[in-house]
Amino acid sequence: MPVILCHGPKGGTGTTFVAAHLAMGLSAEGADVTVLTFAARDTMPLHFGLSQAISLPSLTAPADEAVLVGGINLRHWTRSADDADLLPMLNDLGYLSPGKDRVMVLDVPSGDWRAARRIAQAACAHVCPLTVQPDSLALLPQMFDEAGTDGLSRTAFVINALDETRRLSRHGAAFVRELAGQRLVGRIRSDEAVPEAMAMLQPLSRYAPASAALSDVRAISGKLVDALHSTDPVWIAPSAASRAA
Amino acid sequence: MRIDARNLLDRLGRSDFSYKEFEDRFTDLELWPILEALLRDPRLQALDQPALQVAKSATRGNGEAPAPDERVPEAPKEQIQVLFSRYEHGSEPAAKASAPAPHPADSSGDVRALLRRLSAAVETEGAATGTAPREGDA
Repeated sequence: MPVILCHGPKGGTGTTFVAAHLAMGLSAEGADVTVLTFAARDTMPLHFGLSQAISLPSLTAPADEAVLVGGINLRHWTRSADDADLLPMLNDLGYLSPGKDRVMVLDVPSGDWRAARRIAQAACAHVCPLTVQPDSLALLPQMFDEAGTDGLSRTAFVINALDETRRLSRHGAAFVRELAGQRLVGRIRSDEAVPEAMAMLQPLSRYAPASAALSDVRAISGKLVDALHSTDPVWIAPSAASRAA
Repeated sequence: MRIDARNLLDRLGRSDFSYKEFEDRFTDLELWPILEALLRDPRLQALDQPALQVAKSATRGNGEAPAPDERVPEAPKEQIQVLFSRYEHGSEPAAKASAPAPHPADSSGDVRALLRRLSAAVETEGAATGTAPREGDA
């Protein structure tokens, strides 16, 4: 099962939005997708058109408690993100076993960067949403330092909430394009339809099918799907299985 | 989406607007002090960079239009697949893949040198005109 980590250097960069729509894109391609969110204050349900009153079941909750949206299994990690049992538990539950039709998308808040680094060792990819605002860009050196060369080798960047009508945003985006090069897998334009859809308790695809942000995030998801399909026949976690054993 | 925007998109036969006309070239961007500071930070050089592209950007004349492929912030499919395929093969290829592949035309692609050159150019320009970004070109 491919494990895709979604984790940004700073809060508010749209990590949950990106994780939700990656999951939807992978599910639309026929994958069996589980979303595991680590946020103590979780907004993942809103991106699926669910009320914020819905609390997602824990990873180990029985199937009859599952919250399924469009076939996507939404789960919440209720313990500390730093819990050393996380990877062994994922392994025991079969999430780290080979099998490319099953995908797990993990939404890890920016503050849990230590946990994110550990999870990244078991993940096939780390999708890192950024905004091109100064307070987000300023954290890049620290993030690069923490990730190390090997961690960065599995990192793909996404510019989120880009407003190209603003000068500083254009310049920040140009900077990130030059910095990330091939590791920038796309940009998502700022789009009022995203919060509006949440306010309407509807998925973005239903509320605003013509949304620019939806179109952009679908393109990014499509690239990731292509990448997943490229590794035939199976996905094998590089180190998690041996560590978890 | 507002109904008037949706109607306009319907009339245009488009699903969304694109603001590509606003996109700036790297060499044309004003080097805000924070970007300049980031350029100087050695930690950012841990990422394999498109050295050749930086070289082209650094040396391109102001009047020269960028090639169309340089305006699109998207990676070729094969390159993304390389990113993911590291997962499949375990630690050995991952270690190999973590080192940027040498570019055939990369003899001048020392990123550190390029960044130094960019910074020097900024310093020169800053000494002549002041370092604050210009206003009012948005």
